[in-house]
Amino acid sequence: MRIVPNEDQSAFLAALEQMMGSPAAAWHASPGWARFMWSNELDEALEQNGYYDCAAEETLGAVAAAAMTYRLAQLPVVVEGAASSLVRARFLPALPRPFAVIEGDLGKPVRLLPVAKTVLRIAANGVFAAVLGQDAVEPVESLFAYPMGRLAASRVEWTLVDASELQVRHAWRTAVAAELAGVLKAGLDAVVAHVTDRQQFGHPLGSFQAIQHRLASAAVKIEAAHLLTLKACQTGDEVDALTALGYIQDASTKIIYDLHQFMGAMGLTLEHPVHRWTYRARLLRTSMGGSAAILPALAKRFWIAE
Amino acid sequence: MDFLWTEADQAYRERVRDFLRRELPKNWPDIARHGPGSREQTEFSLEFCPKLAKEGLLVPHWPAEWGGSDRPAWEHFILGEEMWAAAEPRGAQYMNVNWIGPTLMRFGTEEQKRIHLPTMAAGKAIWCQGFSEPNAGSDLASLRTRAQRDGDHYVVNGQKIWTSYASLASHCFLLARTGSGLEKAGIAIFLISMSTPGIEVRSIPSVVGHGDIHEVFFTDVRIPASARLGEEGQAWSIIKYSLTNERVGIPRYHLSAIVLDDMVDELKRRDEFESAVVRSRAGAARAACEAARILVYRVVDKRARGEAIGAEANLARVAVIEAEHAVTDFGLDFLSDTFSGQDFPLFQSHHERAIVSGIASGAAEIQLGLIARHALNLPKATI
Repeated sequence: MRIVPNEDQSAFLAALEQMMGSPAAAWHASPGWARFMWSNELDEALEQNGYYDCAAEETLGAVAAAAMTYRLAQLPVVVEGAASSLVRARFLPALPRPFAVIEGDLGKPVRLLPVAKTVLRIAANGVFAAVLGQDAVEPVESLFAYPMGRLAASRVEWTLVDASELQVRHAWRTAVAAELAGVLKAGLDAVVAHVTDRQQFGHPLGSFQAIQHRLASAAVKIEAAHLLTLKACQTGDEVDALTALGYIQDASTKIIYDLHQFMGAMGLTLEHPVHRWTYRARLLRTSMGGSAAILPALAKRFWIAE
Repeated sequence: MDFLWTEADQAYRERVRDFLRRELPKNWPDIARHGPGSREQTEFSLEFCPKLAKEGLLVPHWPAEWGGSDRPAWEHFILGEEMWAAAEPRGAQYMNVNWIGPTLMRFGTEEQKRIHLPTMAAGKAIWCQGFSEPNAGSDLASLRTRAQRDGDHYVVNGQKIWTSYASLASHCFLLARTGSGLEKAGIAIFLISMSTPGIEVRSIPSVVGHGDIHEVFFTDVRIPASARLGEEGQAWSIIKYSLTNERVGIPRYHLSAIVLDDMVDELKRRDEFESAVVRSRAGAARAACEAARILVYRVVDKRARGEAIGAEANLARVAVIEAEHAVTDFGLDFLSDTFSGQDFPLFQSHHERAIVSGIASGAAEIQLGLIARHALNLPKATI
């Protein structure tokens, strides 16, 4: 048991921090007040420098990919790291990225589709992939803070992927858990900064216990989820992945509520970035069926013999 | 990062389990159901802990000089998990092992170490913790019990309350005020024999097992100055060290996870584990146990690597409380009949332990306040 990164993982994450410090990663308002900011520049830089392939490196592994996903999710801009580093790198390294993932029925809006070069579909009868051509995706206006799009099914040619559906599903659950923990962490950090500065009744908001305890409680959940995600990546155990995802999805509703409560009216504006994280979290908490599906699945997998 | 046990760790856990299987008597569940503070369990611990000591399983993480074998922090923790899962056959003595002994090693005089550590390491010492008072619970620093210096002695007057194990303890790890004013700087620690004249113990009936809660009255209790641990005014920094160990000291999530397994088995036996609602709640309770486990492991990992432990211990403690309540609430909701009668002693004793967890050794809300201050760096609370 050793719950700190190894030397290579530390070096990798330190280098990642440098990349995350670039202007392409920074907060600025989106043109036309769009609710998200896709950073193609940062996404490409990370790809070209091999970050998204870290899971294939023996001393880095999926644990480093999940730690990276958690950190990238904390940016006010969107890049596509979760599927690329935790699914593509292991099962489909030859296909072009960014990836978008369809978890069930076709025809619904899917995050990242407008910027994706490959779409992956996890279905009951297997995993399918398609490289996206021109006009394959119709962008969709959305409340969620991702580029959202709908697939024009007639323009897509699916290929059955030579990987176990269970393994891909497992990897994707871990990826979503890492990303959800990351966006919540960024939201928490933003709100902590706000309540530290903002004075009401003659005191910083963050000095009131009503606020302190709820933020502290959020910190417990986020920290635990982050560690559970890393563990699931190392063990490759389906129960561990269900645990990490179910736990953070279940906790996220209350955390998201609290983050907006304590940000007050400032958090209702597009001039403050907190919505960039909470409106990613609101989508991620429904991913793979949400806790309503994941927690019973965990119970079934853990207590009912196969 | 490595979240897996080594083969040596697993072998060690098996060794502890083997010992428990071999040495716990058939009627152990009947003894254990009275609670860790009960006369039954305390008397049992005085037979059982010497056996553990002989096997090298009582204080393995202590230095050889004091009866240990310098084993790694992880082994100590594996030992703690298995003991707690077995309803803590060490009774009150887990405190000696976890924090009273180590605190004495770090801050005690040679004489104090020589007097107290060998009996702890032999499994023959029962200590109680004289911290809380009627008007100083969460606000521990406002305690009023006074130790007045009188030549080579101190004279102690005051009252402690909610003191676990007090009626059977041989010694008390006592906090008392030597200086003036209501400041942390005026408090000192005393290692007091409970047979000193002037100490009166009254048991308070409780919902958390027999013999767990007491009042302790000190009336003109004369103790030698050599019983003081550390300097006058040093108490707060010493107990901060002790509590860092204490807060993750009891691996409560480990028993909770086992109890949850038993609850699910019972529901399956009744054909009542089919609904998605029941499974969802079971899954959430299971996840809460694992969340607590991994946050506690991070603290143990830091300890094992010799790093200072900060707010991580408070984060872990909150998760542990949530896990224990998630499990007992699951049982109360879906197996409420098992909390009456004699057939499910483990569910009942787990419940009794669970309702203590958010209160003993610093309430959950105190932990949340410490996280806010020291993990989130929020301003000091005003209201």
